[in-house]
Amino acid sequence: MLSPNAQKILADYMSLPFPGVTGVRCPYFINTRVGRRGQIRSLIGKGTPTEIVEEAKIISIQYQHGLFDHEGHCCIDDERHSPHCHSERSEESLSKHKIVEDSSVVSLYQDDRQNDCIRRFLIDNQLGIDCSGFATHILRAHFLETKKIDIAKKLVKNIPAGLTRKIIMRLRPVESIGVKSGYGNDRNTAKLGDETIGYDFAKIQTGDVVVMLGVDTKNTRNHILVITDYDGHTIKYAHARAWSSEGKFGHGVNTGEIKITAPGKGLLAQEWTEISPALSADLFHQANANETFGEAKNAKILEIRRIKL
Amino acid sequence: MCMDFCGPFSIELLKQALLYLIASCVGAFLWAPLLTKLLYKYKLTRRGDADFTLRGERAGKIGTPIMGGLLVVVTVTVITLLFNWQRSSTYVPMGAMMVAALLGAADDILNIFGIKRRERKLKQIWTLIRIHRHWYVRLWYFITFPWHAFARAVAMLGSKQNRGIQVHEKLFLQFIAGSIVAYWIYFKLGTYWHSVHIPFDGQLALGWLIIPIIILFVMFTANAVNIADGLDGLAGGSLIASFAGLTMIAWAEGRPAFTLLNATVTGALIAYTYFNVKPARFQMGDVGSLGLGALFAVNAIAINKTLLIPILGFIFYIEAITVILQVFSRRLLGRRIFKMSPLHHHFEFIGWSEEKIVTRFWLIHSFMVVVGVWMALY
Repeated sequence: MLSPNAQKILADYMSLPFPGVTGVRCPYFINTRVGRRGQIRSLIGKGTPTEIVEEAKIISIQYQHGLFDHEGHCCIDDERHSPHCHSERSEESLSKHKIVEDSSVVSLYQDDRQNDCIRRFLIDNQLGIDCSGFATHILRAHFLETKKIDIAKKLVKNIPAGLTRKIIMRLRPVESIGVKSGYGNDRNTAKLGDETIGYDFAKIQTGDVVVMLGVDTKNTRNHILVITDYDGHTIKYAHARAWSSEGKFGHGVNTGEIKITAPGKGLLAQEWTEISPALSADLFHQANANETFGEAKNAKILEIRRIKL
Repeated sequence: MCMDFCGPFSIELLKQALLYLIASCVGAFLWAPLLTKLLYKYKLTRRGDADFTLRGERAGKIGTPIMGGLLVVVTVTVITLLFNWQRSSTYVPMGAMMVAALLGAADDILNIFGIKRRERKLKQIWTLIRIHRHWYVRLWYFITFPWHAFARAVAMLGSKQNRGIQVHEKLFLQFIAGSIVAYWIYFKLGTYWHSVHIPFDGQLALGWLIIPIIILFVMFTANAVNIADGLDGLAGGSLIASFAGLTMIAWAEGRPAFTLLNATVTGALIAYTYFNVKPARFQMGDVGSLGLGALFAVNAIAINKTLLIPILGFIFYIEAITVILQVFSRRLLGRRIFKMSPLHHHFEFIGWSEEKIVTRFWLIHSFMVVVGVWMALY
């Protein structure tokens, strides 16, 4: 199991700590396409849940979006709503709200609507977390608590860079760690196994990572899963990802598991399960949608690695 | 009247100063309606399409005239030119104020009527240097490459592209203005201007080092006042305290020209702030904030209280420092120190009303001015 602090951070990513609002899953955002330089880390996909929430409030108030008041409480209601609340789902919630009179159901739909609005707002304003940032925050908290080691500072030391970049990396370690440079780097992590040499599943521990390099056809995208628990039969993992089947507003942090059904074989031969919070069961099956498994299959390199402490 | 030197705490000089203060205040009040009418006539007002902050609670500020600082700048200029014009004393402060005010006026006007300018990245400019079909364009870009590099460096520190004068251009022009003031002071006005007063200690002769110090203080103070001019009444009310403090110090030291000049500014500022408190009849604009910021710095330097500028202009310096800290923290550490900068926006963000922020800042600033005046007497 992850340490209590790491679990808290994971729970916060799964339900961002907005005051009075629960269930807002942190969206996925990667800075590669936007290319923001020298920005606040929550704006480049590397923020903690608290920082993302704080930035959302600041943007909302600064640009008068009307989602939060000055105390940081969500002020979305039926009379006063922002342009971010016009999703189909929100409209649907609204119409149901008018029909259904039972107060508990009304409250449920209001929560649903608030979550929709806030998530759309976060995505429209490019707030979210990328896979390596997510992994770093979880593992940093985990190893700080269990081993008293700040892995972010440790990992950046071994990333090759010039003098200027080294200085920047010392000041901003979390932002400097990528999947390949940070976790796929032999000086930072030790390989526990890959698809060719096989895996010794008995050795896997909480805090290990599944590194996927070159998951797209251009061989430019990488991905990382954090192993949050392992009981000898099932690897539980968490990650930040964007599945194409979930559209513009469905992506974000999620958990899944890999059941070890064929111990002598590679990871791809095991049973991967990850439920999409954004897709209904029908849509999920129609889309054949466990894209995490798809990425693992496409990866040029698929490895389980352990951070050298 | 004793125009060259009066004794300290001269009652005659105090009477004169109060007369100047009353005259400039009444004069400014009298022509304020005309100024307001002119500002509306020429549409020198805040526009919502060019300013993203003017939404929600702040939408009421759309259409408010800017360049209200002209009320002070023009009143002070006229009174000083007519009754207090001396080459050895008021010449330099007035010149500095005029240059800074002109720069601010150009910025204000371009912010309203200018067009958004294209911003090229260094990589694009370097490409143009290599591939542009005209050799003279390539040469031009090559020669101006350091200037573009400077512009990009300033832009990286957080300045936004807008319609007015760009931050790097402002800094350059302010540097030129500050240099002219420093040159004039150092070479034309004699050794009296070459030292600084250190409270509780005495005088420190700096020689030529006074030149960069003057440039630094003039530039920093002008920009600090400009930064603090973000809420109705904040900069105007705070400047009243600062110039009143300078008036008292100059009077206590028996410097008639500066006593009268500072009293004139204080009087005009009272009239200005009357119209500027929320809801503002007009706003100061860069013409006022840059001009009065420069004048404040030069006046303090002129009465040999350079080191007290951060105390006499306390709230301006605090506001400017919060901006600097925020920019460096954002760029270097990737985190915010304040929810927003400058500091008044931080308090606005956490829910303080505009009136509460302004009133508290006035009180804190006034207290610090009292401390500054007290320190100046030692």
